[in-house]
Amino acid sequence: MKTFVCIKYVPDTSEAVVKINAGGTAVDSSRFSFDINDADNYAVEEAVLIKEKCGGTVTVLSIGPKESEVMIRMALAKGCDDAIRIEDERIALYDPLMVAKTLAGAIKGQEFDLVLTGCMASDDGQMATGVALAEYLGVPHAAMVKKVEMLDGKVKVQRELEGGLMEVLELELPAVLTIQTGINEPRYAPIRGIRAAQKKELKLVNLDDLGLAASEVDSSASKIVLEKLYIPEVASTAEVIEGSDADEKAEKLASILVKGGLV
Amino acid sequence: MRGMMMSENQTFTEKFDLLGCIQCGRCTGGCPVTARSNLNIRRFVYDAYHEEALEELARLAEIWDCTACHTCAVRCPKGLKPLEVLIGLRTMVIESGKTQPTVRDALESVFREGNPWEKARATRCDWMEGLEVKIAQPDTAVENLFFVCCTIAYDPRVQVIAKNLVRLLNAAGVDYGFIDDGESCCGSEVYTLGEDGLFEMIVEDNTEFLNEFQAARIVTLSPHCFTTYNRHYPDLNKPVIHYTQLLAELLDQGRLTWEGGLEKKIVFHDPCYLGKQGGIYDEPRRVLQEIKGAKLLEFGRARERSLCCEGGGGKMWVETESKKERLAETRIKDAKALGAEIVAVACPFCLLTLEDAVKSLGFEEEMRVAEIMELLGELGGGN
Amino acid sequence: MGNVLILAEHRQGAVRDITFEMLAAASGVARDLGGEVVVLLPGSGLDDLAAQIAAYGVKVLVVDDPLLANFNAEKYQLVLGAAIDAYKPSLVMVGHTAQGVDLAPALAVEKDLPFVADVIGLAVEGGVLKATRQLYSGKVNAQVAFKPAETCLVTVREAAFEALEPPGGGAVEKIECPLKEDIAYRQFVEYIEAEVGDVDITQSEILVAVGRGLREEKNMPLVEELAAVIKADLCGSRAAVDAGWLPHDRQVGTSGKTVKPKLYLAVGISGAFQHVAGMKGAKAVVAINKDPDAPIFNVAHYAIVDDLLKVVPKLTEKLKELKG
Repeated sequence: MKTFVCIKYVPDTSEAVVKINAGGTAVDSSRFSFDINDADNYAVEEAVLIKEKCGGTVTVLSIGPKESEVMIRMALAKGCDDAIRIEDERIALYDPLMVAKTLAGAIKGQEFDLVLTGCMASDDGQMATGVALAEYLGVPHAAMVKKVEMLDGKVKVQRELEGGLMEVLELELPAVLTIQTGINEPRYAPIRGIRAAQKKELKLVNLDDLGLAASEVDSSASKIVLEKLYIPEVASTAEVIEGSDADEKAEKLASILVKGGLV
Repeated sequence: MRGMMMSENQTFTEKFDLLGCIQCGRCTGGCPVTARSNLNIRRFVYDAYHEEALEELARLAEIWDCTACHTCAVRCPKGLKPLEVLIGLRTMVIESGKTQPTVRDALESVFREGNPWEKARATRCDWMEGLEVKIAQPDTAVENLFFVCCTIAYDPRVQVIAKNLVRLLNAAGVDYGFIDDGESCCGSEVYTLGEDGLFEMIVEDNTEFLNEFQAARIVTLSPHCFTTYNRHYPDLNKPVIHYTQLLAELLDQGRLTWEGGLEKKIVFHDPCYLGKQGGIYDEPRRVLQEIKGAKLLEFGRARERSLCCEGGGGKMWVETESKKERLAETRIKDAKALGAEIVAVACPFCLLTLEDAVKSLGFEEEMRVAEIMELLGELGGGN
Repeated sequence: MGNVLILAEHRQGAVRDITFEMLAAASGVARDLGGEVVVLLPGSGLDDLAAQIAAYGVKVLVVDDPLLANFNAEKYQLVLGAAIDAYKPSLVMVGHTAQGVDLAPALAVEKDLPFVADVIGLAVEGGVLKATRQLYSGKVNAQVAFKPAETCLVTVREAAFEALEPPGGGAVEKIECPLKEDIAYRQFVEYIEAEVGDVDITQSEILVAVGRGLREEKNMPLVEELAAVIKADLCGSRAAVDAGWLPHDRQVGTSGKTVKPKLYLAVGISGAFQHVAGMKGAKAVVAINKDPDAPIFNVAHYAIVDDLLKVVPKLTEKLKELKG
């Protein structure tokens, strides 16, 4: 069993104040903490669980800066075997299709049975990279996978649909699965394990190494233009619901929840 | 088994001197956690002697109930530290990777961001906003180098400790410097959660970092940092004191006075990491006695017999599954019986756990929990 | 040219709301592009569903074939691809749903379409189609323009557009299924209904969280009823678990679970740092607390400062009424 697991280094912005940079197409990330994308962490764990059960190797694949090597080392400490880090500023990272094409470029030409990705990146939330990657690789896929069972030449998966309904599927291998959070409980990478994993190979490559022309994955190749980022006009502090009494406040809240599609 | 064999070529028995135990049971007899948990520390010391039983022992939930209060170590007639057996078992769990998600997240956060609260390092000094804080530079000599603590830096409830201290230091004209956002966790909770490898790394990094500063001494705001630096950092090149020691010193020099007073009955709760583990009992009391109008009471269980609040030992990330009364609630009931109006503490964890207990007991009307710096800040004037 | 093609979404015999929401989103765009809205409805046994959609005054292209009985991303991709080839719409809309995200990105690659996912707004400016989407869990909006192309593709966020009342007067047209035989590489096996009973709050979409402010266990039915009306799961602060109102696995915070629901309704929770750490990933936070200084209000999007014992019953009643 040969598995690739694709992971992304993302900022935690859940509590941070987000500011847009002067250019208007990037955010100021100087005050964020960065970590492995949540769903990707589950994908790493699932890849390692599959390896522990079926044997084989797991290769970590990531596009990201030098600082992301901490995250990659942690994945290696958890049981992945080697890693490829792609760094090339020419890639149009705002377009998940360009990201997927780059990842495909790193996988193509190698034997593999499975590619796992997280089903969504917590920063740009496209939910597109894994499924697009499958198409570039020309293999079947399933998105939002909550259970994986390896069969002979096939994989049986459960996809999580709205309302907790599970769709059970069988895919022929090789295949791409985008992993949903909660599929397992990611293990801890103890520091001694991370230190030991320093010996594992972490290869740094750019587009030229992958045999990809920049014009295939840069902003000229992308069919979309990220024109601007802006902070949406919602009050950053709580909207206090006023009313003459508790009843009036409750009624107002009820209609806000219903109209806002929150319930 | 992997965990405890890796750091040194010692067996578990050798590392924790298990053969030195005479099974007298004073550890279990004094262990406050037995009031809520099945934890029997004497039994663990006995059972851990059988190397083949270790894996099974490490699976028992009780090993996570220990608050690392050190009562067992204080009481042991043979000078052993029974709690470290539990930490050794925790290490086995940590090294297997199969730890509780809450513990995993806290430890990963320390590794990545230098604090267990999953906060960005870049925001560590946000509490300083609006204050005139002198920041220490490694190449400029300073008498007192302040070490804030992750919890005080990030938890809005306890940031007041640091803020009031800055105001006091400025008013008293103390020669001091705080560390910028390069300050990293002292590793107190990392150590008690059993993440040996990470703790080793932290000690190495912090020693190098802190030794760079030209300071006469380090002053910690939290007793946890205070005890951890004093106990586990052999190569630190300067002494470490708790801020209540500095305050007592300033009082002796007549450099601290307050305009206002506080006509309240105050009882001081000795934090385990300051008292039992640090031997500091008198300084916080000395400060409280200085408050005009305050009447200082004493718990029956005071000083080395002080009851643990269950805030340490990594318990901020692991719950004891028990329906029995929290020790913090027992403590608050004791305070109420004494007629105390304020329970004064000198530790961020004690503040959080005891305040929580006041709320859950519904005693908010009659009493409150306050950190010493919080009380001093309310006196007004400040010199 | 100028037409908007919507992939209708349905499951287990019912049209899903996203279909009607996309109809609302499409009408303005189609008008600006100078075209009309057409709906593609693949599946099996679709007469009722087709009529239901046609009532919105649109043409419904029905691909009715037993091979399409259950959603299968690979098969639907073939069907939708063939429709794009045949009808050359300017814009194709797919729901940003468990079905849509399993299908749209692959289709974009296959057909080389400009693609934007999870859009919450669409506009035509100076002849250029532009989409609005969100980053960082809604903290930042992005405006994305499509480069000129015959056909563009979007997935549309659920509940981002409000469905309109059906005006009636549409039409249904059956078209041939391009798929002639079953595919082996991806096969639907079955649906498994969610197990009732064992709740994993880390996966909950809506959470009602209770804290010490609830005061007594006898007040639990108030929040239980509220949770039932909005199909929420219950969770709580350490105090609520300590008090025995909720089991241990429902505790949120640094010593409990980390949750990230779409809606977190905090009832009587003060919002200690250690609790907030466990729910900061929630998309929307509503806090009801009588203490105006409660720190929970610092992370809330909507706040009611009042007695929860008065607010919650009324809120439940009103929600029941509004949700019919």
